[in-house]
Amino acid sequence: MDLTPQPPLSTAVVDTPAALEMAGLSLRLGGTPILRDIDLKLAPGRVLALLGPSGSGKTTLLRLVAGLLVPDAGTIHLAGKLVAAAGHALPPEARGLGMVFQDYALWPHMNVAGNVGFPLEMRRMPAPERAKRVARALDRVGLAAFAERRPSELSGGQQQRVAIARAIVAEPALVLFDEPLSNLDRELRETMVGEIAGLVEELGLTALYVTHDHSEAFSLAHEVAVMEAGQIAQIAAPEDLVADPASVSIARFLRLGALLPVQRGAQGWYLRGGAFLAPPEAAPEKTDTVLLPSRALSVTEPRAGMLTATVTRTLFRGDGHWATLALDGGHDIQLLLPHRPAPGAVLGLQISHGSLRWFPSSPSKRTSP
Amino acid sequence: MRRQGGAPQGLLTALAAVLLTVIVAAPFLFIALQAIFPKIGAGSLAAPFSAMADVLSAGRLPRATLNTLIMGVGTVIVSALIAVPLAAIRALYRLPGAALWDVIFLVPFMIPPYIATLSWVMTGQPRGYLEQLTGQNIAGLLFSVPGIVIILALHCFPVVYFALSRSFAAIGGRFADVSRVFGAGPLRAFLRVTLPLALPGLAASLILVFAMAIEEYGTPAVLGTRIGFRVLVTGIDEAIGDWPVDLPGASTLALVLVAMATAAYLAQRRLLARGGFETTGSRPLQADRRPLGRATLPALLLFGAVALVSTGIPLLAVLATALAKTISGGLAPENLGLQNFTAVLATSTTARSALLTSLGLGLVAALLTGLLGAFAAFVVLRTRARGRFYVDLLAALPNAAPGVVVALGMILLWNQPWWPITPYNTLSILVLAYVLLLLPQPVRYTTAALQQIAPSLDAAARVSGASELTMARRILLPLIGPHLLVAMLLVFVVAARELVASLLILPVGHQTIATFIWRQFDQGSVGLGMAMAFVTICLTTLLPLVVLIAARRTEDIG
Ligand SMILES: Nc1ncnc2c1ncn2[C@@H]1O[C@H](COP(=O)(O)OP(=O)(O)O)[C@@H](O)[C@H]1O
Ligand SMILES: [Mg+2]
Repeated sequence: MDLTPQPPLSTAVVDTPAALEMAGLSLRLGGTPILRDIDLKLAPGRVLALLGPSGSGKTTLLRLVAGLLVPDAGTIHLAGKLVAAAGHALPPEARGLGMVFQDYALWPHMNVAGNVGFPLEMRRMPAPERAKRVARALDRVGLAAFAERRPSELSGGQQQRVAIARAIVAEPALVLFDEPLSNLDRELRETMVGEIAGLVEELGLTALYVTHDHSEAFSLAHEVAVMEAGQIAQIAAPEDLVADPASVSIARFLRLGALLPVQRGAQGWYLRGGAFLAPPEAAPEKTDTVLLPSRALSVTEPRAGMLTATVTRTLFRGDGHWATLALDGGHDIQLLLPHRPAPGAVLGLQISHGSLRWFPSSPSKRTSP
Repeated sequence: MRRQGGAPQGLLTALAAVLLTVIVAAPFLFIALQAIFPKIGAGSLAAPFSAMADVLSAGRLPRATLNTLIMGVGTVIVSALIAVPLAAIRALYRLPGAALWDVIFLVPFMIPPYIATLSWVMTGQPRGYLEQLTGQNIAGLLFSVPGIVIILALHCFPVVYFALSRSFAAIGGRFADVSRVFGAGPLRAFLRVTLPLALPGLAASLILVFAMAIEEYGTPAVLGTRIGFRVLVTGIDEAIGDWPVDLPGASTLALVLVAMATAAYLAQRRLLARGGFETTGSRPLQADRRPLGRATLPALLLFGAVALVSTGIPLLAVLATALAKTISGGLAPENLGLQNFTAVLATSTTARSALLTSLGLGLVAALLTGLLGAFAAFVVLRTRARGRFYVDLLAALPNAAPGVVVALGMILLWNQPWWPITPYNTLSILVLAYVLLLLPQPVRYTTAALQQIAPSLDAAARVSGASELTMARRILLPLIGPHLLVAMLLVFVVAARELVASLLILPVGHQTIATFIWRQFDQGSVGLGMAMAFVTICLTTLLPLVVLIAARRTEDIG
């Protein structure tokens, strides 16, 4: 197979190649299709998050990029260079990447400096220069004083910082993160998201960041690719994803608000068996589900003609009261309220109609109004 | 770019398959062929299965098989009777000197049974040490089937003791305490929770004891031959060693023995695979254990008695014999002297050259077995090539190979006239036999170690720029190194004093430690043999003991 970068067809278009480009990538493992027809493109200096529920194939996709797996179909280009095609792959050591693993994957028989210096050693960097680079990388992650420690003598957060230092020390053109924070407790996770964001900005890293936590993806990435069952369901900037999810399942996975069944009635669109929502022109013909984003709703005194809801349950959550409200027609929605409502109280709900999102029954792609 | 599961993996797997085919599979194949085609040595496939029929009709096979079963089952029962109470006390109660008892009970396991047997003969025979001290001898018990079984059990019971005390402790600490919270008394907690949960582990260790007993040569050869108690191992030995040589008969007996050992191995693996309930790392604290109270003294007496019979008496008998100027002089201060030890260690004696030969063979065998075992385990666990299942099978095959069968396989394979060159009648045939015999040790240790290494450690190295080989050298090898070293130590110890295979395929003009001791007992100076035995025990028991204890200590810290 030809390994040299393919010359661009038209010499007029000489822009920098994408740091990573996948086309039509598919993989089966043990007969089951794990990834199907993946297309992705990542420009240098950008961060792309792969967001999806557990088992959706994120790790597998990352392992394909790293060269730890070989695709059945499709191609992968790194910086314009073909590195994988059906049944063929450049081995991982020839790709010059950095990678952070979910379980840290620090080598227990080497100390921190040995772990971080390993990629430089593999690139045959002389020892004095290597020591300097290792010290700088450890300094970046705030572990300059820990160079001589064994990984087992560090806390989980410190171990993951070492793993990050190892991934960036050789200044790779692309860094892969596989749920790096999922083994840490919540407080530490929030701190670490900030630290990684700082590093990414400071070093101008190009990164593919896998996670199942949408707040992590939204905080770190320029673009988010939502994965569902081995396919990419939507690629968008975080803000666009929240404002305009492409399907019911994406909206549900991102927990953007209540998803309720709707039906066409005399005046327009109604909750099924319940209250009036919007005039006929708000949504196309085949619509059957509406997304009521939490931020599209505000609670007022109930007035005539208004959508009303009855409080069935509340839980105090520290930042407010998490209330379950029953709507006419047997629909439930959940809202964060500033004050504890009395159980059984009737509230009025004001809807900002522009924020409602309408979905057709099937196929799951949303049709624009 | 490389194809999936690229060339290096395929090459490595093929290399492992070829090595194991020559070293492991071929000897077994030749035994099977010889058993089926008795005239194959003359290049003829005539009269297939006739030898099997002969062996069967002469009644040799059923008798030897039955005797082997009696010896195996008897050893299992006696081992369990000794080990279960000891393990329960050790694991569940605060036994004074607990760690020390553990070390003491390692010793009988490390003393080769043929040495223990010889020392019991010195002790128990008419006018032996026991009669000199008490006026009584136990020759009647010693030269009997129960005598054989008891001596084997005194060697094997530590296997059960260690397996069981570990699982009793883990279970007693975790599950039994819970049952006590819910109202079970200590005895009920033991009977209803601890014992049932420990049963799979107990059964697995008893099956291991069975396999050790049916493969043993020295004890039935010394004690059984005199009373006409012939087992499969001694039957094979006689068929090869006594005129007229009966290779087809030996091969038939060997197939039965291999079948029994295979069944035991598979049963043990099944039981262990089903999984114990004890979790590692939940070693109970001394404080969780109950005090023995008034039972302390009886418990200590029990432990002391077992230690005396299994360790004390054999060692003292070996030492007394080695230090005696003449055997007829008996146990008397004026009969003591160091001349036997001087002879063993003096230059240019047969004894010293046997010692050096065995140590050298042990060292070479340990290195080669370790390398081959680690290589096979790596291929099985870390490559994707299809041949790895074959490698896995061949690496497990020697688990069913007693020493006498290995020797027979070496003779049948390498003593063929058509080989242009052959290791037969050189020391390298012994190395080949030891490698085949002991291959399971490094395979088992390395497999366990490799399984503990998360695959992401490999992946991290590859992504960091290491090739497959660099990764194996820089990441896997250092991580499995300590385990491999322990396995090689074990190989060294067992190979350096291996008896039956060495006896049968010893090249002309050479002696090993075991064959030297064996022949001195038969026809030479028993004192010289026992001096050699004592030196060997010190070299091959104390040295590994120290290393193992040190290794366990570092494991505790690490
Ligand atoms: N070696 C394998 N053989 C068969 N199926 C696998 C293998 N590895 C992963 N899978 C399957 O592939 C799917 C995706 O796995 P993975 O990429 O780990 O998901 P994620 O990282 O999104 O949680 C899962 O359904 C998993 O069961
Ligand atoms: Mg994953």
